[in-house]
Amino acid sequence: MALTLNVNGDRRGFTADPVTPLVDVLREQFHLTGVKPVCREGFCGACMVLVDDRPTLSCLMPAALAQDCEVRTVEGLAANGTLNPIQQALEACDAVQCGMCFPGMVVTLTHLMKATPGATRDDVRSALTGNICRCTGYESIVEAAVRALAAT
Amino acid sequence: MTTNPLLQSGPPGSFYIAPSLPAALDALSDYGAAGATFAGGTWIMRSPIRHEQLKPHYVAIGKIPELSAIRIGTEAIEIGAAVTHAALAAALAGLPEFGVLTAAAGRAANPAIRAMATIGGNLSASAFAAADCVPALLCLDAEVEIASRSDRERISLEQFLKMRSSLAPGRLLTRIVVPRSARRTAHARLPLRQSGDYPVAIVSLAVDVDPANRVQAVRIAVGSIEPVARRWVRLEAALLGHVLDPAQATEVAAELVDEFTGRDSVEVPAWYRVSVLPSLVRRAAIAALGS
Ligand SMILES: Cc1cc2nc3c(=O)[nH]c(=O)nc-3n(C[C@H](O)[C@H](O)[C@H](O)COP(=O)(O)OP(=O)(O)OC[C@H]3O[C@@H](n4cnc5c(N)ncnc54)[C@H](O)[C@@H]3O)c2cc1C
Ligand code: FES
Ligand code: FES
Repeated sequence: MALTLNVNGDRRGFTADPVTPLVDVLREQFHLTGVKPVCREGFCGACMVLVDDRPTLSCLMPAALAQDCEVRTVEGLAANGTLNPIQQALEACDAVQCGMCFPGMVVTLTHLMKATPGATRDDVRSALTGNICRCTGYESIVEAAVRALAAT
Repeated sequence: MTTNPLLQSGPPGSFYIAPSLPAALDALSDYGAAGATFAGGTWIMRSPIRHEQLKPHYVAIGKIPELSAIRIGTEAIEIGAAVTHAALAAALAGLPEFGVLTAAAGRAANPAIRAMATIGGNLSASAFAAADCVPALLCLDAEVEIASRSDRERISLEQFLKMRSSLAPGRLLTRIVVPRSARRTAHARLPLRQSGDYPVAIVSLAVDVDPANRVQAVRIAVGSIEPVARRWVRLEAALLGHVLDPAQATEVAAELVDEFTGRDSVEVPAWYRVSVLPSLVRRAAIAALGS
């Protein structure tokens, strides 16, 4: 089936089965490898992208449903090459370890900062319920988010 | 990493985003057994992991206004089948009599899943034993409406659970209807982690008590223990007419718990699921009395 997607402001057509998970299209057609297919089950959050500004698990979204939507991946979150506030805070707090979970973390937290600027530490934890990190123990990530929120 | 075979050429599937209920019913009827309803997709998209074939044709119902609406009436609430967990939890937040359903919809899974997964999909995924909304709606005496191109019928949720795996092609769950009453309700679930996991066991409770907390009417439903959630009728009978005391309810539950045969799974052994039930009854009773 011929499909067209808008990703990070780039509009491109391709052919695929309509139920192809969006994550595969992003990686293999758009070559955006920040998005990670780790569990393919909706449990880990490594494949999180923004679809029409909503955090969405791209392993569970069929490409056909993403048509006519605005898809944004981690590669599209640093406007004009400048890291956004949450990216800067994660770097400043040295929160990243292996990095596997980070594209998803950044997407979830970027949305939280925009949607809930007054978010508390508990709100940060709740928002990250679907983002699993095997390395950090989460504290440094939550701390970075709290700092970024406090600075806005 | 290997290329997803769906990106390569092969027999093309189709994906129809239905603009209206009649259009969806027509498409489902035309596709017959080769087609299926696509709601939030959080169960369907994991078919390859369960080694199940995807259907050649899907009819997406998420854009149908009638199926995405929640109507809060004086006698009952009506929930469109394509309402997401997140939307349902938000809409019912101010109605304590539906606390059990708000908790089921608002605490299941994780935020991104709750924004995708629908209540209709939760009730229709017949191989999914850990569905939170099923016991919650069982204890609220919910009914469901099923439609096809030619007819509509309203049946109890209990009946639907018996026939859902053999729902004829072309038939769609359209609405869930839940009667209103001044009951107290609670949803006690035990995930392995604090949140984000499937519940090991679920106890949903709806109870009417008099001013002395004596039980006038009670519905208790148990989920995730057996393949399909069901009412715990013997426990209901044992509590009826007595003062609802969480400690006593726990003891009675422990005496009656043998009637359940737990599901074995990689996460937990069967006995464990059953063994936590009395504690969940206690938690539900405490929460209902406090509600
Ligand atoms: C990471 C993760 C965690 C989860 N945790 C929980 C949890 O804690 N508690 C819980 O309850 N659930 C949990 N779930 C399961 C989730 O709730 C179900 O996958 C979801 O409810 C199914 O709804 P859906 O709209 O996505 O259904 P779909 O995947 O679209 O459909 C599921 C099935 O139902 C059929 N169907 C859908 N809608 C209708 C309809 N209106 N009429 C007839 N048939 C229909 C479809 O054809 C398909 O067979 C979790 C899922 C994931 C991925
Ligand atoms: S790959 Fe999508 S949630 Fe894990
Ligand atoms: S930094 Fe390694 S998984 Fe999170």
